[in-house]
Amino acid sequence: MTDDLLINVDHVTLRFGGVVSLKDVSVEMRRGEILAVIGPNGAGKTSLFNSITGVYQPQEGSITFSSSKAPPLSVIGKKPHRIAQAGVSRTFQASRLFSALTVFENVKIGAEDHRGIGLVGALVKGPRTRRGEHTSDGVATEFLKFVGLLDESNTVASQLSYGARRRLEIARALATDPEVILLDEPAAGTNPSEKLELTTLIRRVRDERGVSVLLIEHDMKLVMALAERLYVLNFGSTIAEGTPDEIRANQSVIDAYLGTSHEETSA
Amino acid sequence: MNLLTRPSLKRLFATLLLAAVVAVMTGAPGGFGVPADTGVHGSFLEHVSYFGLFRTQRWAIFLTLGILAWLIVSFYQPRALSIRKRVAPVTAFPSRLMERRSHRLILIAVVVVLTLFIPHLEHQQFWMYLIVEQIGVWILLAQGLNVVVGFAGLLDLGFAAFYAIGAYSTAWLTGVLPTPAPFHHPIPTLWCIPIGVGLAMIFGIILGIPTLRLRGDYLAIVTLGFALIIDDFVGTQSGLTGGGEGSLTVPKFDLNLGFWHYRWGISPTPYFYLCMLFVVIFIIVFTSLEYSRIGRSWVAIREDEVAAESIGINPLKYKVMAFAVGAASGGFGGVLTAGLIGNINPTLFQYQVSVNVLILVIFGGMGSIWGVAIGAIIVQTATSYLDNYQPWGYQLNDLYMYIGALLIIMMIFRPAGILPSRRRLREIRGFEVEHEGHLDEVLSGDQP
Repeated sequence: MTDDLLINVDHVTLRFGGVVSLKDVSVEMRRGEILAVIGPNGAGKTSLFNSITGVYQPQEGSITFSSSKAPPLSVIGKKPHRIAQAGVSRTFQASRLFSALTVFENVKIGAEDHRGIGLVGALVKGPRTRRGEHTSDGVATEFLKFVGLLDESNTVASQLSYGARRRLEIARALATDPEVILLDEPAAGTNPSEKLELTTLIRRVRDERGVSVLLIEHDMKLVMALAERLYVLNFGSTIAEGTPDEIRANQSVIDAYLGTSHEETSA
Repeated sequence: MNLLTRPSLKRLFATLLLAAVVAVMTGAPGGFGVPADTGVHGSFLEHVSYFGLFRTQRWAIFLTLGILAWLIVSFYQPRALSIRKRVAPVTAFPSRLMERRSHRLILIAVVVVLTLFIPHLEHQQFWMYLIVEQIGVWILLAQGLNVVVGFAGLLDLGFAAFYAIGAYSTAWLTGVLPTPAPFHHPIPTLWCIPIGVGLAMIFGIILGIPTLRLRGDYLAIVTLGFALIIDDFVGTQSGLTGGGEGSLTVPKFDLNLGFWHYRWGISPTPYFYLCMLFVVIFIIVFTSLEYSRIGRSWVAIREDEVAAESIGINPLKYKVMAFAVGAASGGFGGVLTAGLIGNINPTLFQYQVSVNVLILVIFGGMGSIWGVAIGAIIVQTATSYLDNYQPWGYQLNDLYMYIGALLIIMMIFRPAGILPSRRRLREIRGFEVEHEGHLDEVLSGDQP
């Protein structure tokens, strides 16, 4: 059972001065699943993402990412680019594309290997550099096709529609060859038909590319249709965990979303 | 366009305030309303006042200029935005060093024309001086700073430091400084290029690694400080650097291939060919760098550092790389200058030099290799011409007033430079699209 744990967030606490953003949060994500984290605004969902991707450094607890290719990586204290190279990719709540680059360049830059120095290679463009460029060109084409943006290859990223930007961000994240992709509210600001497309796309990410998906989303219809398991956060703590059906029936989740009545609180 | 709207009046107020500040600053020390003859003395402005137009009221002149600037801004509408504009395809990986055919052709044409034309200028002292010392070296410096400022988006205010390191290491290696040379036999000036460049690069890396970890404007401050330290050091450490006099006897370039020995002498033409060779190499190499993996990573970091990190780009590594490339180019310029002029002294490496190089980059277009080259040619030609011939009552001290005015006008009409980089232009356009059109309204803060 513990063997196929992909990300293990173990009793993590994250504070900003006196504000506790995550309080003793534990999340276990299995390899190959679509897992969702839901909760009201300010519950700590994005903080959790930022802790997993190395943007924030929690003070207590541990986060372990178990890649299938490398020994387990202890995430806390590692730099974001290091974690990304290990196979944890993400998108952002407000999409953050490289708006001066074309759609194609946006994905290609994700596909490239950023590990070496390669200054001399870039200056003289030897055979190795060319091979690298060809490989990334191929990967970029593949993922643009995957998200259905190949026709927009040469459009400048800032000129895409909102839904297309979301898909481009997913393509860029996938191009880094991750084992898990963290999607931070992928459906925010999209219209109903774009939401439907996104649902299909996210399922295909897992089914066709074999990439596990960790999802934050406010749109309950989308979450319930996609997620196999959910965690519910409220005020920085996990209040529930289970399948969509279990969560729907969970009293503390209903309370968190709808509020508790006065009598219940005082009782 | 209604001039009496709130943002418009706010702009008028700001412009007039600026004009007032300039009027005070250019006046004599000690108070407001000082007459013109103690202020911008003998300049164009005084000529205007000779016509009885404003008498001696500099204030009136500056305020009028302010109002004019305000009117220009108010009535100037940016060109219609080309929504969903397609750009040249990038899917096909270019097989040659310079991917754009037109660029290759321009480069070849310019080189051929210059090669044929230059020997005819041999005896035109001003033009040869201009082309070799003022343009040749400065294009290289500007290209180097462009990598730092234009590609990676880092503000480097101390570029002159690396220029000085290159020049002084040349003097040191050729044994013309009071400091003993590291080798028994002084090495030929041409061989100083790799060593001088390497030294400047090492200094760049040492300075960059601790500083570039920080975000924001720390780099600008640290580079500024570094340049001032180097400037002060070479000026005062007479025992090491020759102090204020520097060194007057840096040997000329000299190429010895065994079977063929060439010595650069007094005639400027051979220096021109040497400079042109390096300029061509720089343009080819930096163009290739811009469209490489590294060039794209620089754009990514410049645009959004957090997103760049999320796809595995190490910002520190790429920033240090940009900084090192810039420093190396500065060092290269220094070695070349030492070999060209044959004498170096601290005045060549003052803080003003850093600013001048930055002006070339901003004027030409940050991030645009061709823009920076053209910017360097235009600005250097104009300033050298003004300095040499002093037309229309031009005074040497007024130079930066004109350059400042030029930059202000540039920022209004062509904010991305004379020949903007396509990527930079897209950044500005993208910003405008996101904010529904008018950049001006965004800047004046009236956007919801």
